[in-house]
Amino acid sequence: MNASTKRRSLWLLLTPMLLWIGLLFVLPHLKLFYLSFISRRGGEFTFANYLYFFQSPLYRKIFLRTAVFSILVTALTLLISFPLAFIITKVAGKRLKMMLLLAVILPYWVSELIQAFTWMVLFRESGVLSYLLQMLGITHHNIEFLYHDTTIAVGLVYTSLLFMTIPIMNSLDTLDDSLVEAAYDLGGNFWSTLREIIIPHAAPGIMVGSIMVFMLNLGNYVTVTLLGGKNSLWLTEIIYNQFIIRFNQNKGSAFSVILLTFSVIFVWIMLKITKQDLSEAM
Amino acid sequence: MSPEIDVGLVNVTKKFGNLVAVDNVSLEVPKGSFFSILGPSGSGKTTLLRMIAGFEVPTSGDIFIGGQRVNDVPPNKRPCNMVFQRLALFPMMNVLDNVTFGLRRRGGMSKAEMERRAKDALARVGLQGLEKRKINQISGGQQQRVALARSLVLEPTVLLLDEPLGSLDLKLRQSMKLELKHLQARTGTTFVYITHDQTIALAMSDTVAVINHGKIEQIAPPEELYRRPATHFVASFVGENNKLVNGKVVAFQDEEKVEVDIAGIRMLGRAGEALSVNDTVDLFIRPEMITVRPGKGENGILGKVSEINFDGSHSLVIVSLLESKQPLSLNVKIQHTENAPDLKIGDLVTLSWRWDAANAFLSMAQPHIEAEA
Repeated sequence: MNASTKRRSLWLLLTPMLLWIGLLFVLPHLKLFYLSFISRRGGEFTFANYLYFFQSPLYRKIFLRTAVFSILVTALTLLISFPLAFIITKVAGKRLKMMLLLAVILPYWVSELIQAFTWMVLFRESGVLSYLLQMLGITHHNIEFLYHDTTIAVGLVYTSLLFMTIPIMNSLDTLDDSLVEAAYDLGGNFWSTLREIIIPHAAPGIMVGSIMVFMLNLGNYVTVTLLGGKNSLWLTEIIYNQFIIRFNQNKGSAFSVILLTFSVIFVWIMLKITKQDLSEAM
Repeated sequence: MSPEIDVGLVNVTKKFGNLVAVDNVSLEVPKGSFFSILGPSGSGKTTLLRMIAGFEVPTSGDIFIGGQRVNDVPPNKRPCNMVFQRLALFPMMNVLDNVTFGLRRRGGMSKAEMERRAKDALARVGLQGLEKRKINQISGGQQQRVALARSLVLEPTVLLLDEPLGSLDLKLRQSMKLELKHLQARTGTTFVYITHDQTIALAMSDTVAVINHGKIEQIAPPEELYRRPATHFVASFVGENNKLVNGKVVAFQDEEKVEVDIAGIRMLGRAGEALSVNDTVDLFIRPEMITVRPGKGENGILGKVSEINFDGSHSLVIVSLLESKQPLSLNVKIQHTENAPDLKIGDLVTLSWRWDAANAFLSMAQPHIEAEA
């Protein structure tokens, strides 16, 4: 096979992928970007859509809230996933390993929507949790667990768990057990070994997991609106409102671009802070 | 336990389920000595070392380090350090940070002092100027030295070495072998070295313990191990040997000196264990201990040269014995000295050896196939 046929077949193989990305990702985003600088009425170039967002205290608050909330949920997910991944890869025997893996993967066999509905069945005023508490005599009236920030956090952590656990498992899998033994042998204890050996080794996995989970949280709509109700105050919700309820594509586009830009910048900063290379992390 | 003993094992047994990995082992490692534990893979030597290091807990028996019973002391509190088989250097740190890791854990020392000691330890293993390198930026031999320095900097009572030379190529292994021995002599640290490589064990050690199936076969200085093996296993595992099987003890010339009939030929040997007349024995003869005289001579066994393999410093000559009832041959190693016999294939030769160059042990039952999973 000569070089030109080789190159041609390479392009042929890449075509579906390129079409997919080009038509369904790049093109719509270009259009989004374009629309965000166009005024709704006159159709001329304007910054008004962006100014509108940043001049509104409510939108600024929502923006900040979404960002901070996503970061917190990501941290919380990491806190739960890391020990879990460690147990699955390094501690558990074959049976326990399978069971834990299934427990992590199983929820993803149903859609996020169904997951959220399940949480609603558990948490609503006449729901399972409320009923249980009354049966145990802890309280004597119905309690509404839905529409709190905690409920949103629980739902988000739950939907994120897999995306954090799997990459960390991957990186912990390659950790040579004798490194941990060596650290102990040289006088290390649990914390110093975790800090100096295990976490640095798992850093790429932690980074990949955190980026994925952060993006998923930032862009989450279903879980947030179903568990948080109308007042969940999430950025995706106001984008939805602009597009679907107010038919304002231009403002919606501007808000989307803000969301996108923010997540890209945030990931970039995170990579810089942890001195990781994106190519290395992936 | 006497203060001159750095490591002591008393009736140590380790079971993994039904498998007995280490079976009632007792041994003493004198202070400042180079002690090797030699055994084939699966003999339990790694388990033994890991018990000394603290990574495995003995099922029964006691372990002493520096006179203290350490059974209940976790590995990070034991006065011994280990050089791992795959070295287990920390790839996320540079050379210097690897070496100071233990000092940092210990604390109570300024950063400058730690670095001074680390550089000192690196200098001791002949490694300078690479402090800032990452582990994957230095060669295998250099990594070896870093692993040694990382343990030695803590000035352990005992340094445990889990066959760290195994991964090196032959040339490097030879030179590291000597260096390790010199280093041990210089620092005076007690070394416990486990290996399946007898050339390493024999060359470096003051004392060698041979272990097989979790049991100690013999503990002796290398030369004694080589010349006076205590068991059938040691005789066949250590060094090269001619193994002549299924001989019969004919008579005793004295307590040790025994006459054995092998395929109709009378041979003299040393009784390696308690034997009696008519016992079935195997006779082990070192190839380099056999004297070859050209032609048919007195007081010897007549043979014919059937093969000559030149091997640089010596030749391995295969001599088939002419007077045996069954075809039988002996390997003979001839040094290429001035008065070495000039042999050709087909030559008649007479073989002889000092009686104690041959060791007789009771024949082992044919190794039965164990029901292993």
